[in-house]
Amino acid sequence: MQIFNSGFFWFVEGILFCLVLVGFRAWAQGRGIPLPAWKWATLLLWMLLAGFTIAFVGTSLGENEATAAMRGGLLFGLITVIAGVGLWRLLLTGAREA
Amino acid sequence: MAIYLVVFVALAMALAYGKTRAAPDLDPAIERIFPTAGSIELSRGVYSVLDEGGEPVGWAAMGKANGYGGPLMLVVGVDLEGEVAGVEVVEHRETPIFFRMVRSAAYFEEVAGSDFHEVEYDYEAVVGVTGATRTSDAIVASLRSAVAEVADDQFDVRLPAPPRSFEFGLLEIVVLALFAAGIAAHRAGGSVRRWVRWACQLTGLMIIGFWAASPISLAKITSLLSGYFPDIYSNLAFYFLIIGLVITTLLHRRNIYCLYVCPFGAAQRCVGVIGGMNLKLSARVGRVLESSRNVVVFAAIFAAFITLQPALASYEPFAALFALTGSTLQWGLLFIVLTLSLVVRTPWCGFLCPLRSIEIVLRNVGAWGRGVLPGRKEGARG
Repeated sequence: MQIFNSGFFWFVEGILFCLVLVGFRAWAQGRGIPLPAWKWATLLLWMLLAGFTIAFVGTSLGENEATAAMRGGLLFGLITVIAGVGLWRLLLTGAREA
Repeated sequence: MAIYLVVFVALAMALAYGKTRAAPDLDPAIERIFPTAGSIELSRGVYSVLDEGGEPVGWAAMGKANGYGGPLMLVVGVDLEGEVAGVEVVEHRETPIFFRMVRSAAYFEEVAGSDFHEVEYDYEAVVGVTGATRTSDAIVASLRSAVAEVADDQFDVRLPAPPRSFEFGLLEIVVLALFAAGIAAHRAGGSVRRWVRWACQLTGLMIIGFWAASPISLAKITSLLSGYFPDIYSNLAFYFLIIGLVITTLLHRRNIYCLYVCPFGAAQRCVGVIGGMNLKLSARVGRVLESSRNVVVFAAIFAAFITLQPALASYEPFAALFALTGSTLQWGLLFIVLTLSLVVRTPWCGFLCPLRSIEIVLRNVGAWGRGVLPGRKEGARG
């Protein structure tokens, strides 16, 4: 897992993250979906949750705690998936009629 | 009816086989408590432990109480000074993960060395935590009965019996209220039924689910069918749930538990609202999944009967959701079921829940009973 310690990985990861956000913004504008501040805030919270889930699994595996990684991953993954679906429906609210 | 007969006979044979298994040998456990033991003699329910030279080193007795999955048996050793020399569990039928949790709290280690007058029977007070009430209650009750046996037989001391009173609290009130509201709402119909159902299910989710973590599980039903009845004083809510399930399904023709009370059904509905898709599987897929569920339920009960381990039948993910503990299978099932709930309407209730199979049996029995009883022919209500 040496790659996660390299500055290059995090540089690329940061670029991809920004591209995803910019792409999402463009996609939403194209469909007339308003993106007020509360939607961005909720999206960032969800990203924190998803990041925490991935970090939990990764650090647990790094500590050779496979059971904790699996069960924690399933629990937090479940919360992330359900929250993600709910958030997605929230994000799409207020879309302009075609 | 023929298939019911075959299933009934197979399960009865499995249970009979399980019941014929030999009782556990207590000598190894007694030797672990008294490492200097040379011989062990049983008299009036108490084991006298002698060393190699024939000198007494202490006494031991077996205690037994019903836990989550059936009887839990342990041996308590008391030395010549009247101090607890050690405690060993010789047999239990608890869910392994719950038993490990209770055992890791080192209650026995805390009790060892106590004078038999002063043994602390309050599990929570000793270890500070608990998450498996019925297992820890069984440990305490069996410990108390074993110590009382030695005290009475060898020290001529009658230890006071534990106070017995029904535990009737919030959980019991909520269970009764949910069944009453469910029956009333089901008769009322319309939008009343819909809103009351939501209110009942959310209450059940909070109180029976997250607060008490005690929904009906296949292990509990299998435990009852195996003849292991949990202590009624401390398990009133469990009996209310079982009686409510059976009575409403047999007499009311509606399973009020699943419709209004079950916390896991409520969890799926809540997730379904978030998903907002509510897809329905095709009838053919539904039939295949329902048949598979019946086979799984039969196999789980059969395995539990033949091994006399009711906890083996527990494949539901309830503990993973409500107590945040469970096997890998249960965690995986929880993830799959709740993720599926985003797009499919209550998939667990439809295709996996063992109560659905039991409900079908109860409904058929009820219909058969109404057909047999004079003046209660099926369809006479209309």
